[in-house]
Amino acid sequence: MVQDPGAAAGSGRFRPLNQPAPLAVEATPRGEPVALLWRGTYKRVLAIHESWRIDDEWWREEISRRYHLVELEGGRRITIFQDLVTDAWYAQPYEAPKGSGHRHST
Amino acid sequence: MDVACLYIRDFLVALARRDAPSLEGRPVVIGGSPDEHAAVIACSPEAAATGVTVGMTLRRALALCHDAVFLPHQESQSTAEANRVVTLLNRYSPLVEAIAPGHVHFEARGLAQMSGMSEVAFFGDLYQAMRAETGLPISLGVAETVFAAHAVAISDARFAAPGPSSPIPSARWSTARTRTKENAEAEEPGPVLVPTGQDKAYLARLPIEVLPVSPLMHQRLRQFGLERLGQVAKLSFSAMQAQFGLDGARAWNLANGKDNSLIVPGRDELRIDEEMELPAPTALSEPIVVATRVLLQRGLQHPDIRGQSLRRLDWRLGLESGEQISRKFVFREPTNDVPRMLFVARSRIERLQLASAAVSVGVTLSGICSEYGHQANLWPVGPRRQKELVEAVEQLNERAGGPQVFRIVEVQPWSRIPERQLGLAAFGP
Repeated sequence: MVQDPGAAAGSGRFRPLNQPAPLAVEATPRGEPVALLWRGTYKRVLAIHESWRIDDEWWREEISRRYHLVELEGGRRITIFQDLVTDAWYAQPYEAPKGSGHRHST
Repeated sequence: MDVACLYIRDFLVALARRDAPSLEGRPVVIGGSPDEHAAVIACSPEAAATGVTVGMTLRRALALCHDAVFLPHQESQSTAEANRVVTLLNRYSPLVEAIAPGHVHFEARGLAQMSGMSEVAFFGDLYQAMRAETGLPISLGVAETVFAAHAVAISDARFAAPGPSSPIPSARWSTARTRTKENAEAEEPGPVLVPTGQDKAYLARLPIEVLPVSPLMHQRLRQFGLERLGQVAKLSFSAMQAQFGLDGARAWNLANGKDNSLIVPGRDELRIDEEMELPAPTALSEPIVVATRVLLQRGLQHPDIRGQSLRRLDWRLGLESGEQISRKFVFREPTNDVPRMLFVARSRIERLQLASAAVSVGVTLSGICSEYGHQANLWPVGPRRQKELVEAVEQLNERAGGPQVFRIVEVQPWSRIPERQLGLAAFGP
């Protein structure tokens, strides 16, 4: 039996983590990022080290994303993705789900 | 001649042989009994000739050298003897640097002139005096640079020692050797004096093994056909540097008699002694603890250590019978907090069974250092601490009108969508 904590659930007591941050990205017609606006500075993408795609929850609100682990000029590496439903770009650190093995590059 | 090097080859073996002359000429291995799970700490040249090396297991050493005499390592005795050598040299020279047990460098400039003797006579006397005082087979090299003195001393020790491990062929070495006139005639051991300005010439005939570089580099030099320092000195500096890097450059400089090293004398450890006579003889622990507290407070106010911490406390209690009881306390973390020190010492003081009344208390503070940051654990185990924390968080939430402290919780750790995996949940009930 779980005890009632006596506290109101919901507002303020839970916050999501690792929300996608909108990003301005210049990409090729094939959807490969070539430059982006990172913290107010235009940065060229020197290399795309890894790309992978996630398709999920097609039965309700569809999620379809293509992630890229990119290296920017200056050496910084960040993970960005393109929402394939809305075509918008976001930055989001990616952690592979527990127990799912390694992610697959495409 | 500016610098001298006193070297006792196989110091631990030499000590053992001095105390038991019957070991002379026999293979000796130091480290313990072969049935112990321990390693060889030192071995004699006779044992080394059979393949025994420092660091191998004692069992392996026994397998290689059946007739070796295995001896325990008497660390305190060897440390005391090594310190004694340094103390004896301190009588002669103002700058003495202990390199290793039985290996000492010291400033030799002007010592002979100060005593009104020739250098040959002075260092001959010093050599004989050190041999007589220590009873050990010493080698003494005196030269213009630290490396030259060191190289001739260790080469002399290897030359003098029997056994096939000597890398220096006797015939070649003897031509380079300059001994004092008297002992050269009698072929007695003595100091090796390198006349001023002739370091390079003396070094030229020494084997490359005297160079303070890695054994791998010694091996590579030999593979290049370079056996003597003279051969290294004849090469171009850039060639040595290109082939061996910084070590090559250093080796070339040393082989050419260029050495800027200085003698760095060991600094005496700072120790603060405080002593107190008790107002009246007592067998009770409380007055002794009070006296200890006063002494600690007094010691910590000493100008040399004010604001610093200490690692070690030596505590002494003088008894009416003339006996003295001593205890050593080593603190896990440096401290200058008297209650903390007393907390450690008190229980042992209270447990003492005194044969007669105590008349004096003394403390020695040592291991002086600066205190590092000491931080208490934020999440110590214990319901009381946890309750205090929850109350503090609730107070903070009340003041801010909403949750302010969160903890990371797993929401859907199996999810492929990163923002679904983790979340922040308000801390507290």
